[in-house]
Amino acid sequence: MSMDKIPNSDSGKKMNRLNGSLAMKPPGSEGSGLIGRRIGIAAVWLFLLIAALFTLFPIYMALLNSVKTQGDMLTNILAWPAVPELGNYADAFQKTRYLRSLGNTFVVVAVGLTGIVWFSSMAGYKLSRTPGKLSGFLFGLFIMSTLIPFHSIMITLVTISKELRLQGSTAGLGLLYIGLGVAMAIFLYHGFVKSVPKELDEAALIDGCGEFRLFFTVILPLLMPITATIAILNTLWMWNDFLLPLLVLTDYKSYTLLLSTNMLFGEYNNDWSAILASLVLAMLPVIILYLALQKYILHGIAEGAIKA
Amino acid sequence: MTSRVWKKHAMLLVFVLPALVFYAAFTLAPAFGGMWYSLTDWNGLNPSYGFVGLSNYAEAMGDRYFLKSLWFTVKFVLFMLVLQNLLAILLAVLVESLGRGKVWFRTIFFMPNMLSLIIGGFMWMFIFTRVFPYLAEKTGWMLLDQSWIGDPRYSFFAILALSLWGGVGYLMVIYIAALQGVPKPLKEAAAIDGAGAFHIFRHVTLPMIYPALTIGVFLTLNNSFKVFDSVYALTGGGPGRTTQVIAINIYEEAFSFSNRYGYASAKAMILFGIVLIITIIQLAIMKRREVRA
Repeated sequence: MSMDKIPNSDSGKKMNRLNGSLAMKPPGSEGSGLIGRRIGIAAVWLFLLIAALFTLFPIYMALLNSVKTQGDMLTNILAWPAVPELGNYADAFQKTRYLRSLGNTFVVVAVGLTGIVWFSSMAGYKLSRTPGKLSGFLFGLFIMSTLIPFHSIMITLVTISKELRLQGSTAGLGLLYIGLGVAMAIFLYHGFVKSVPKELDEAALIDGCGEFRLFFTVILPLLMPITATIAILNTLWMWNDFLLPLLVLTDYKSYTLLLSTNMLFGEYNNDWSAILASLVLAMLPVIILYLALQKYILHGIAEGAIKA
Repeated sequence: MTSRVWKKHAMLLVFVLPALVFYAAFTLAPAFGGMWYSLTDWNGLNPSYGFVGLSNYAEAMGDRYFLKSLWFTVKFVLFMLVLQNLLAILLAVLVESLGRGKVWFRTIFFMPNMLSLIIGGFMWMFIFTRVFPYLAEKTGWMLLDQSWIGDPRYSFFAILALSLWGGVGYLMVIYIAALQGVPKPLKEAAAIDGAGAFHIFRHVTLPMIYPALTIGVFLTLNNSFKVFDSVYALTGGGPGRTTQVIAINIYEEAFSFSNRYGYASAKAMILFGIVLIITIIQLAIMKRREVRA
């Protein structure tokens, strides 16, 4: 399978040097000719294909068995069913209140993301532009928390959210995420603003443009690349976060997709057909988004990690 | 002049205030509140509580289940540290060495990271409790036929497999970005000088991606100490409390077993202390090596 994949340019030779080491050949054996080179490349492909199979296996099994009856599952767990059983999906759709849960998740992410981007871009920009002790102190205050594990603050956070009557509300949960997310976003904006020329601010201010108009009409559009990274990182985090919603969303009407899926899992202990269908439904929005925006997401992840 | 400085500071506060309000309410206040409650006997329901000094910390140090969860977490962190970074570098190097197919593999390996480990955990639960026994029966490969979820000796590895499945792709993306930053002429020069592939990797590529390794180790340490979702989804800390990690132990202490908020806060502060110390040590050591390399 891999034989026809071998490029015959000199990039092939470079590849072979890399591959040689990874196929655990002793160093210095690259010179052993074309056959050794091909074996090396084949070994790389084989290894990667096995790793890819391992990665996709649980998703594939979930997909496969979500369209089977319990009986089909028992007779052959690996085979496609003679007749796909779509009733599982109807069941899961209803039991997880799919549309409602999806809507709830959207509200949480929308509130959280709007606040995080809006407030941290303002703060990050001004902190980066203003020299002085006050600015340094405020920036330090934000950075200070980045090492605190969520589990170290969750107990008091839940108490506070109760006091402020944010418990049980999806929008309230979004507000909590703003408070938890701004520090990291400010840090990223703070760094990025340095690449935006200061002369721009000065020119606009001389032209009589107000501070806010300057920020929202001139600066914010220029921050777009880092805004995209921040939006991707935070959406993924809020969408997939489980513990905070579990603690805060006490009423099933406000359940996010994850909480509904978790509830169904608890109730249907051994009815894997319905559970797997619900898992596929829960994955669906994320996978679609991922395949559509794959390039930007991977870029954002690398960017965010390296800068942080 | 002074009025201009004043105006500048006022403007700074106006821009920072919205973020600061939310940050103070939902990050700073809970952090300081947690420190305070860890010194009290508050139970979360009773409005009155008393100051008890460090006795919560003393109790935690003698709490058999807490210490066990600590040990379980440390073991988990060590396995993750080595395996996750090793696998991520291996995948990154192999994927980068490909011509065609690169994008496909990268997309596939990162995919689990898009999913919550709760979802991933339930899918793996299906694999462990249904698919593996079936495969074992058909193939006679008895290694697969273990009590992956029910027996803590095996469920450790089940949790590890799930966490690696969900985490390797993320680090791989970081290592790929680092590998792409290694200048090709450097490797070519080494090759012309007669260096073998392994030597090129060891002495040219590896030092060049050292900053990424710092990030990778940092992220692994940071996330693994806080592991919650994968344990919650697979074993819930059970059977009994045998697979409890620190985060699960704190969660149960506060929200399901006893509602002892004060005591749970003390444990939470211990977790914070551990993460802080380990991160500082790690960064200090690796930054120094980075400079030398």
